[in-house]
Amino acid sequence: MTEYTGNPLLWVALVALVAAAVLISRQRKAARALRQQVQGLRDHYTELESDYGKSVQAAQERAEDETKTVLKSAMRTLQGLAAEQQLVLSRLQTKYGDSALLQDLLEIDHTNSQFGRRAQSIAVLCDGWLGGRRDTASVYDVVRSAQGRIRHFRRVDILSQVDFGITSRAVEPVALALAELLDNATSYSSPDTVVEINIRTVPKGICVVVDDAGVGMSDEERARADKLLATERASGVAGLGNPPQFGFAVIGLLCERFGFEVSVDSSSPYGGVRAVVLLPHELLTAMPEKKAPAAAPAARGTARPVPDGGPEAALTSSQTGDGLPRRRRKRPMAIVPGSASTPRAAGRSDSEQAQVMGAFQRGTQSGRVTEPDRAERTDRPDNAGRTSDTPGASSEGHEVS
Amino acid sequence: MTGHDGWQPEAPELVRPYVITKGRGLPDEDDLSLITLVTASDGQQQRPARLSPEEQSLLDLCAAGYLSVAEIAGHTHFPLGVVRILLASLMEGGHLTTRPPVARARLADREILEEVLNGLRAKFG
Repeated sequence: MTEYTGNPLLWVALVALVAAAVLISRQRKAARALRQQVQGLRDHYTELESDYGKSVQAAQERAEDETKTVLKSAMRTLQGLAAEQQLVLSRLQTKYGDSALLQDLLEIDHTNSQFGRRAQSIAVLCDGWLGGRRDTASVYDVVRSAQGRIRHFRRVDILSQVDFGITSRAVEPVALALAELLDNATSYSSPDTVVEINIRTVPKGICVVVDDAGVGMSDEERARADKLLATERASGVAGLGNPPQFGFAVIGLLCERFGFEVSVDSSSPYGGVRAVVLLPHELLTAMPEKKAPAAAPAARGTARPVPDGGPEAALTSSQTGDGLPRRRRKRPMAIVPGSASTPRAAGRSDSEQAQVMGAFQRGTQSGRVTEPDRAERTDRPDNAGRTSDTPGASSEGHEVS
Repeated sequence: MTGHDGWQPEAPELVRPYVITKGRGLPDEDDLSLITLVTASDGQQQRPARLSPEEQSLLDLCAAGYLSVAEIAGHTHFPLGVVRILLASLMEGGHLTTRPPVARARLADREILEEVLNGLRAKFG
């Protein structure tokens, strides 16, 4: 063994070995440190990445919210203006009802309704205002209201009616959703075809079926529609495309919020799309009553008896809740009686006429009588000193005191 | 409650007049003037269900006898032109018939009256 100790080679080898061991251990340490550093960096990176994602999303949401707020209030203004204009138009239509101007007024009314509907759709997408409160309305009227809000309303044909009403809360949303469906149906079918509406009673409620004879939807469009109607709700106006496609996004939101269903997954027998709106029982009521039915034919002929109090008593026989007299509607009266000869309409008989005239005469006489009486009173001695230019006032003052 | 609380069909604001008229144009003034008399046709017992509520109400109104167009409009809350359009479409469908306004009564011929008077005088006077 000792013979090797003198060998310098051995020493060199030993030194080299030790140096190598030190080097390796150092490298290892450095490598470990580096690995840790890399891991740390990687963690940091993912953290940053998720933070970035979050902040981008937050910024997006904030921007969306801001857009929504701005659009919501802008649409509210527009909706208010459209409603106001509708009132003005109604007034004008009544005022110029008998002139040729009416035709143009009706056309402006139509344009105004479409304008109002657009604003309403955008408002719905921005969680905004749907419009003024409505009374309960019949399903038929809600469908017609929807019909009036689209451009080609003449092409829409309502084939059936049902005796159901829609609750006041659901009138506007259902009308708007239907209007969007009808807009789609008329826009994607040729101008000479008719869009048919059938209203049917089903066990779950009422179905409004809209059939068009258009080109139908491609698979892609159908998928988008299904997505918007069933699973994924649109939010805001982003992602509607250019030109924006409001229809299904608006309908989907309305369905979710008011609890009715719309499906477009079947095709119409005419080749186009069949859209079905299912209104559940919660949204349905009895048919709203007509405020006053038109005079029934049977009621004619049996003339209303005139009480002894004369015509005025007949007019003010009932009172409103405020205690004000309620005016009776006058019965429609034919100028020329129909084929069936009816008894003479109850007017005043001759004796009543005489009574009325007599009462009138007595009234005027008594009026004339009291005037000199008063004049006499003012001439009485206790009033003698008063000036004679205000006899009425002085006599009244005397009576009070 | 404004003046026309008597005859208001369903929600006036909800269904606009141009939908009720189905976008039809105004009828000819000569066909349906203010004083044209309108009544329901005889065979309107089998009233079709396809008529709108407004058209049904107009038919009810006209069922009693002859009414002038102006009067019918007065019993509805619709503008006069809208009523005329609806009446025209009902006439087209054969649910209503019109009668031209009643001709003015002509004064009796003076000569005939004088002759009658003379005759009476000759006989009794």
